[in-house]
Amino acid sequence: MKLKPERKLLLSLKGDFMTLLSIQNMTKRFGGLVALNALNINVKEKSIHSIIGPNGAGKTTFFNCLTGFYRPEEGEVLLSGNSIVGLSPDRIVHKGIARTYQNIRLFPNLTALENVMVGYHVHLKSSFIGPILGLKSTKMEEAKAKQIAMDLLKYVKMEGKENTLAKNFPYGEQRRLEMARALASQPKLLLLDEPTAGMNPRETQDMMDFIEHMRGEIGITIVLIEHQMRVVMNISDIVTVFDYGKMIAEGLPEEIKNNKTVIEAYLGSGDAADSH
Amino acid sequence: MTKAQSLWNHGVKIGAIGGVSVLVICLIGMVESFGKRFIIAGYLPMGVTIALIISMFAAFIAAKKTPIPEKSIQFANAVMSGFVTSGLLAIFVIIGRSIKLRVVFVEASPVLYNILTGGISGAGGIFILLFAGLLCGAFSGLLIVLTDLPRKLIINAIATVFALGLLQELILPILNSWDLGVTNYLAGLFYTLNGLTPIGAILAVIIFCILYLLWHANQNTIKTKYSNLPKATQKKTKYFGLLILAIILIFLPQFLGLFLSEVLTIVGLYVLLGLGLNIVVGYAGLLDLGYVAFFAIGSYVVALLTSPQIFDIGLNFWQALPIAVICGILAGVMLGIPVLKMRGDYLAIATLGFGEIIRILVLSDFLKPWLGGAQGIGSIPNPNFMGFLMVKPQHIYYLILAGCILVVFISLRLKNSRLGRAWMAMREDEDVAQAMGINLVATKLLAFATGAGFSALSGAIFASKIGSVYPHSFNVFISINVVCIVIIGGIGSLPGIVVGAAALMGLPELLREFADYRMFVYGVALVIMMLLRPEGLLPEVRHKIELHDETETGTQTAAQP
Repeated sequence: MKLKPERKLLLSLKGDFMTLLSIQNMTKRFGGLVALNALNINVKEKSIHSIIGPNGAGKTTFFNCLTGFYRPEEGEVLLSGNSIVGLSPDRIVHKGIARTYQNIRLFPNLTALENVMVGYHVHLKSSFIGPILGLKSTKMEEAKAKQIAMDLLKYVKMEGKENTLAKNFPYGEQRRLEMARALASQPKLLLLDEPTAGMNPRETQDMMDFIEHMRGEIGITIVLIEHQMRVVMNISDIVTVFDYGKMIAEGLPEEIKNNKTVIEAYLGSGDAADSH
Repeated sequence: MTKAQSLWNHGVKIGAIGGVSVLVICLIGMVESFGKRFIIAGYLPMGVTIALIISMFAAFIAAKKTPIPEKSIQFANAVMSGFVTSGLLAIFVIIGRSIKLRVVFVEASPVLYNILTGGISGAGGIFILLFAGLLCGAFSGLLIVLTDLPRKLIINAIATVFALGLLQELILPILNSWDLGVTNYLAGLFYTLNGLTPIGAILAVIIFCILYLLWHANQNTIKTKYSNLPKATQKKTKYFGLLILAIILIFLPQFLGLFLSEVLTIVGLYVLLGLGLNIVVGYAGLLDLGYVAFFAIGSYVVALLTSPQIFDIGLNFWQALPIAVICGILAGVMLGIPVLKMRGDYLAIATLGFGEIIRILVLSDFLKPWLGGAQGIGSIPNPNFMGFLMVKPQHIYYLILAGCILVVFISLRLKNSRLGRAWMAMREDEDVAQAMGINLVATKLLAFATGAGFSALSGAIFASKIGSVYPHSFNVFISINVVCIVIIGGIGSLPGIVVGAAALMGLPELLREFADYRMFVYGVALVIMMLLRPEGLLPEVRHKIELHDETETGTQTAAQP
């Protein structure tokens, strides 16, 4: 199910969709290397915003700066108007950003259910005393967490597998489980780092359909890193292109596809736009 | 290398490893000092038994590792391995009898040679030694050739006899304490003062085989019957089992004498320590090698608050206990703060240092006016429970039992909670755990604090049980013992810790010759465990799934609703 072009235009251009995430002048340096150079990006609410670029362009560093794993040297990150720069990763999750990883990073020796329940951690309150005394509030909270986790597992088509250890799942299911875990924190903004890495064209297409559905059903804002340009063209509302830590282009997928700078910088030569 | 040579390769290689192993335990004196203890009275001393078991084990492995799965070749390899093992020993005996090896190897005495050669001198003895090796090999080869059921039967029967002989000092006093006609008769039938009687050993094998075969035949029907029972009845059965366990635990000290109760309290204290460390290492994945520090803190706090020496505060045990636990928790947080950013090996080293710092501080002259220095603190009063003075180990046992039950309860409750999941997530991947919204600082400190609190509880009981505390009671070996208990028992598994503590702390108390070789045996046990059974003796069910039946996991979970 693909969105109609008009809707995409609406999402990307019209002002009545609020800006959820606003990145202003963000710079990250590693010693002398400038990994991210004065980035200015605005992510609209409920959009699918893709970030593409060749290897080493700084895409994952960008995510790490957003999630608090790195601290950018300069610049500001506003989520719904509130600054989140300099917060620790766990605080940023509380603010409503969740992520997945390029190389899947589940908790391998926890079950699928436990993985998703850890994702729901921020919405639980019990600490030490509650579970020991078996307080009623703790029990109800746990039951609710379990129900939500089960629902999410069902949503990613993994019902009935909740007691399997995460590491025993095949690759595609691990990807989906990781996504369920990220969704469990009920974020406003979901960061997906190359969700189709290591997948064949068929699985890639399935994943893209899944992401598009998810946006429609949950109404979540998604920032998506991709290495292959072709993959994201059909589902993105807006595409930002990185190269050497700089934003070199931004616009509708069609515009990016035909952008000379992008083709030259990102692909090296003009004839390989659709190759891998 | 020709094909024939490569066929024998395994037998020779592993046989040589077995031979060297036996040689090592001979040269460190284990065979000789265990020679005075008999498994089967008059026939089979324990030292020889260990040597035999090692050579059989080597032969078994040699046969199993043979690349060609042909029974005759496997059998031949086993025999070869046994022969090589005994051959090495024979060479050793021949050399030892002609040259004085004692200059270098203190234990290489004629007594040892006599044990190895069955007490016969000259070529006859060597012949016996080689023959024994061949027999061991052939026996193992036979085990390999046999089908599954008889192999398991034989191995387990041997293990039973070995255990019965080994645990004589545990079983015999219990039988005697009943002092009924039947038990006295049984005691006389099975045991001499030193080892099983031959008739007892044979009877044990027969009884074991019958029971094993009965279980084997009815195993499936019993299991299906149980799973066909309604859920409520299953639950009732479980509670009934727990009730029986509780009754046994409550009346246990009545059957055990003073000495065995003492052993039981030592095991119990280590169970308490192990359960606490399990939270830190097993759940949260923080390798803490300075665990003894909190044990020491718990002990010293109770000593200072209750003993008339030094400060003469004069609190009783029950008033001092919560203060000791709180001090332990605070110390846990204090250790936790500086090591928050450390992981893995670095954390282990830092905590190891912390453990030593506490011991050296207590030992120092600088703090002597307050902590008693090397003389320690004495005359700690025994706990008083509602006017009843807990003097004997049998009384302290109940204190420890109550502590264990409390700690087990807390561990189980926490495990399936938000905090427990956060601990386990942190163990699996710290960065991702943080990216899921887990506050690493709070979660880590809670793990350290909980573990430290349990350790301090154990220390407090220890102090009031012994009646005095000395810095030397709190050396690094306690930490190492507890880590060994947790690893050998099975990381994360509560029953595993009980078994681990019983095996590592109880056995050495029962076999006093063992004390000299304690660290050696721990090292060997750890290596063997890591190679053969890395999940521990009684693993947590989940750990078992992780490390072995990867393929079975799917079917298991599919079967669950």
